[in-house]
Amino acid sequence: MRQYFRYFKWLYIVLAAIAALTVVLHVGHWMLAKTMNYQRTNTECITDERVFDGAGVLNDKEEEKLRRLIAKRERQTGCDIVLVTLNEPLEAYAREIEPGVRSEEFVRVYAEQRWENDGFGYDRPDGDGVILVDNWSRADDGSIHTWLCTTGRARDVYYEEDIDHLLDNVYRYVEKNPYRAYKTYVNDFYHDMLGWKVFHMYVPGYVPWLAGIIAAVIFCVANWRSKEGKKTTTATTYVAGREPVFRVSQDRFLRKMVTRRKIQTSSGGGGGGRSHGGGGGHHGGGGHSR
Amino acid sequence: MIFKCRNCGGNTVYSPEKGGMYCPHCESTGSEEKIGDSSLVQCVNCGAPIQITQYTSACRCEHCGNYLIFNERVENVFEPKLILPFRIGKEGAAAAMEKEFSRRLFAPADFLSAKSLEKMEGVYVPFWLYDYDADYDFAGEGTRVRTWRSGDTEYTETSYFEVVRRMDVDFDRIPVDASIAMDDSVMDLMEPYDYRALADFAPQYMSGFFGEVYNQKAEELDERAQAKARQASEELLQGSLTGYTTVRPYRKNLHLTREGFCYALMPVWQYAYRYRDKSYLYHVNGQTGKVIGVTPVSRGKVLAYGASVFAAVTALCYMAVHVLEIL
Repeated sequence: MRQYFRYFKWLYIVLAAIAALTVVLHVGHWMLAKTMNYQRTNTECITDERVFDGAGVLNDKEEEKLRRLIAKRERQTGCDIVLVTLNEPLEAYAREIEPGVRSEEFVRVYAEQRWENDGFGYDRPDGDGVILVDNWSRADDGSIHTWLCTTGRARDVYYEEDIDHLLDNVYRYVEKNPYRAYKTYVNDFYHDMLGWKVFHMYVPGYVPWLAGIIAAVIFCVANWRSKEGKKTTTATTYVAGREPVFRVSQDRFLRKMVTRRKIQTSSGGGGGGRSHGGGGGHHGGGGHSR
Repeated sequence: MIFKCRNCGGNTVYSPEKGGMYCPHCESTGSEEKIGDSSLVQCVNCGAPIQITQYTSACRCEHCGNYLIFNERVENVFEPKLILPFRIGKEGAAAAMEKEFSRRLFAPADFLSAKSLEKMEGVYVPFWLYDYDADYDFAGEGTRVRTWRSGDTEYTETSYFEVVRRMDVDFDRIPVDASIAMDDSVMDLMEPYDYRALADFAPQYMSGFFGEVYNQKAEELDERAQAKARQASEELLQGSLTGYTTVRPYRKNLHLTREGFCYALMPVWQYAYRYRDKSYLYHVNGQTGKVIGVTPVSRGKVLAYGASVFAAVTALCYMAVHVLEIL
């Protein structure tokens, strides 16, 4: 036991330090959230509603709970948080506004239009906020499209990878428990807006487990000393004077050859781009399909 | 022969800690006197029959406990030229083993208990020490490659060199064990010995220990010594070919000339443990304390340590990810 604690002393000290840092950050985050109380200044918004469950995937109680949560998070973040579920093909609607739009972006056109038409924005129409549109109607290829549209401060905070991460979290629950998925959307948005956002990176949930398994395997293999012992002699151990004598040591330059190769540079093709600036360039956002 | 104390008549032995002869009975030092010509079948002290192998040169009488050295196996053709006296005693060897095994995390904690100790003896192992002169003639073509970019073009420059080396190496006392009973790989791992402590052979050094005469003649083991010299020469040559991306040899001639050899005895502690019906044999260099041997693995320890690392690293990663996400 003593050997165990002596061996892992530093590991546990580091673990405790990081645990303490995590707690401190959490407490700081929580205290910061407590002090936040933004006043809504947008008087032109045509509705007080934030939950539009057109697809009917939420019951009344769930809708009410989401409304209360959104009201609280809006005050803390200073952003309008809107949720729209639909179950209707949007092709005709989207093509009328943007004739050349691709099928997976119909929902994007709808989200931007809905945001602008209803005058959402916490500080002013088309101001700070976010809207999630989840269209449960299946497209021709059988997929369901979702779009997250950010404006104002939310657009500044949300990078492409942040949107992907948020939508991944929503998709984790949406099929089995839509309420939990949409609650995750509201809470993740709140955490993202209140975080310092130094790092715009997300690590998949399995990575810590994988790192733990790899570290444990390496540790066990490294300490599983089946070898009898280490070789401790070198090439000079039995050499008189500890070094050889070089009677000839010659390195004569013969010739030189130069070859050249054109470097192929790739251009464009950045992977489809989930974020964009549409409808006048003031919207940010990104979509997922399931 | 046997060494007896002039003061008390007890069996005097060589003490590694004191670096000289010592009587464990009356604790006097330098009081030894050589008694008798021992026979190979009977103890010179008590007359009890003794059983030894054809190579045994020193042993302990099982009846009276005195250490016997067999004259005819340490004289004439069997007389070693040199001996490296034990510098580490029984306790020192046990401490060296404990230190080494404490580093082996997965060795069971109760493995080195006195209960499981089956055998513990100091043995003088016969070695041949070879001297060689190596003459290495090498010639080859070496390349150095440099790459750089200019605009959208990558340039690769390859420079070719003629590489010539003529290397002389003077190998001194390359050791090869001449004991069939000792595992060659174990004896090779026991190296190196500090030759500065080599002494001219005297039978006193063997009192208190077991010993063997050489089991094989120097000519029979010459090939093993040559292989060591060849490998070392190759490493030394390779060490002089630095700075090249590739070296393609077109002439490689290594010529070894044996300059001499001598017979010497080297000190080794042997410990045999029995743990869970399996025997484990350990060797400790009697001069340097280097330990050679495989330890058993405790599955419980592997599980406990492995699980701890897994849990700690997973938790660390989780917290780190969490902190980064908050930030």
